[in-house]
Amino acid sequence: MIKIENVNKYFYKGEDRELHALKNINLSIEKGEYSIEKGEYSLLTGPSGCGKTTLLNVIGALDSFDSGKIYFEDRELGALSEDEKTTIRLNEIGFVFQAYNLVPVLNVEENIGFIMRLRGFPDSEIRERVKEVAAILEIDTKLRSLPSTLSGGQQQRVAVARAVAAKPKIILADEPTANLDSKNSKALMDMMRSLNVTENISIVFASHDKDVLESVDRVIKLNDGEIIES
Amino acid sequence: MFSFALKNIFFYKSRSITTFILTFVSTLFFIVYVAMMDGSHNSMLKNALKVYTGAIEIYKTGYRDIGGNEYFIENVDEIESKLSQIDGIKHFTSRYETYGILSTDRYSSAAMVTGINPLKEENMSQLKATLIEGEFLSETSKNCLYAGADLIKKIHLKVGDEVSFIGSASDNSFAADLFTLCGVFRTGSFEFDSSASFVSRSYFDELMYAQNKASYITIDVDDLEDVDSVRLSIKKQLSSELEVLTWKTLMKSMVEMMQVDSIFGYISMSLFFVVIFFVIMIFGFINVSSRVKEFGILRCIGLSRANVRALLLYEIFILSSLAIVLATPIGAAIAYYFSIHPIVIEGMSETYKEYGIVSDSVPLDFNIFTISWNVALIYSLNFLSVIYPISYINAFKPIEATRHV
Ligand SMILES: Nc1ncnc2c1ncn2[C@@H]1O[C@H](COP(=O)(O)OP(=O)(O)OP(=O)(O)O)[C@@H](O)[C@H]1O
Ligand SMILES: [Mg+2]
Repeated sequence: MIKIENVNKYFYKGEDRELHALKNINLSIEKGEYSIEKGEYSLLTGPSGCGKTTLLNVIGALDSFDSGKIYFEDRELGALSEDEKTTIRLNEIGFVFQAYNLVPVLNVEENIGFIMRLRGFPDSEIRERVKEVAAILEIDTKLRSLPSTLSGGQQQRVAVARAVAAKPKIILADEPTANLDSKNSKALMDMMRSLNVTENISIVFASHDKDVLESVDRVIKLNDGEIIES
Repeated sequence: MFSFALKNIFFYKSRSITTFILTFVSTLFFIVYVAMMDGSHNSMLKNALKVYTGAIEIYKTGYRDIGGNEYFIENVDEIESKLSQIDGIKHFTSRYETYGILSTDRYSSAAMVTGINPLKEENMSQLKATLIEGEFLSETSKNCLYAGADLIKKIHLKVGDEVSFIGSASDNSFAADLFTLCGVFRTGSFEFDSSASFVSRSYFDELMYAQNKASYITIDVDDLEDVDSVRLSIKKQLSSELEVLTWKTLMKSMVEMMQVDSIFGYISMSLFFVVIFFVIMIFGFINVSSRVKEFGILRCIGLSRANVRALLLYEIFILSSLAIVLATPIGAAIAYYFSIHPIVIEGMSETYKEYGIVSDSVPLDFNIFTISWNVALIYSLNFLSVIYPISYINAFKPIEATRHV
């Protein structure tokens, strides 16, 4: 589903403080590594600053890279226009951002349903689906609240709910359990697994949470921008 | 996207309120200002036309350029009977204009002496209304002279005094008579008041052999807006040796003055709009730059640049529509009210007297067409004001925008 070949990314390219954030990343059978496949349930892990978020952003057509190739179901991301990448993000990818990134103007219900609405789902279906995921993540009492009135953990669950509601092909979840207690993070991981199994949605986590580590099928270890184990 | 735009409008209240108020005030101001400018021009024109010049005048070709006895209209009765058949004409009258010398025992002055039909002239011009002393002419007033206040001052003439006239009759013979000053007028136009004088036609025609002749025929129309079409229908009826001219040609200097005035009006207006435009744009820009992160998030989760553009256009559309929809009827109502109850500006007739302004009151011009283009202009300015913010926001890469603080 997603193949990565020799991808390098730099920050501050050409400046004194140039930073080689992703070093020759390969997730491709041709390069002797497994690619990310349909139904994948895996974890990117590694110490803080090793490049987990950067890699997820690059895979999710959110950020550019400096060399190499990424194939998203046969489309080479580097060759796509900004609008084509936007369409992929909207229709095929669900993001859970480390910084939540909720829309401040919209209440919880509208945030969760936002992507479905953009994709043109009928109102009734949106309402039902929002209720369903909100109940699983225990945020159904907060549907009318604005994000600014929620705790970190609550915002995180809304961010997850928004990513999963529209049932994308792949969910890229950056530290989705970071602010959750063990009960909530367990409920979240159960929901993720059931989406993975019943809807065949691929999920890639970036996390150093033990709960996540224990539940995934595959672990990709990063260190200082390099894959050291996959 | 529309309902999302509405939510943004409610969420970012201060920006919404400023934009709303600015648009509201500028729409209101603009409508009233333009109505005032057009209105003052219209009333200047109407006053000027009322004083002496007709909305349309008929001349024999050559009279205006060359003049002289060969260029009089010779079949006045026939033309007048044709004119009475044409739609859109309110009043008309002929005038027989000649130049001569008016002398008292010690002073004399060249003067324009015009034979007029006193009854018809009452409808056509302000001659009677500008009377300041004595009385206006009548059909039977014989050798009565009705003269401008500045003219009689030159030759030290008083009402009741006699004055001799020497001129040439229409057959080029010598014409002379003794007039009595019966009335004095003052229109406010020095040029006119110092040279013009009038005598009743029935009397003057005999003196000048001018029966059925005229220098020109002056015409008042029902609606000034239709002046060009009325002119055409008159022209069709008349022989080609007659020229039919509208006030636009007859009063070139006044028309030019009004154009200059309009241009200055529009220049000061556009300065005002430049300011409003930038204020709206700056508020829009401040708002958008405080939302960079939010737009980044939206773009990350799948909003396209076209969506962002639509969103911002919807926002300005809703805000400006609301302001315009509220301000337009109020502005129109003000224009309408003051078109019926004119504003009085002290001293206006003094300032513009050389253009024949005789009244201090300025009715506003109430014109739906004008109001429509006013509104269209404000709309366009509002839309233009979001172009820069849109390109600013769309220049961000989505992921970078989410890191923006
Ligand atoms: N926008 C950016 N500009 C400059 N440097 C960046 C940027 N984003 C990340 N980096 C740098 O790239 C490296 C990888 O960062 P990244 O956020 O991918 O780490 P991470 O593995 O997600 O860390 P964490 O576990 O703390 O979330 C870090 O050294 C970071 O400082
Ligand atoms: Mg990270």
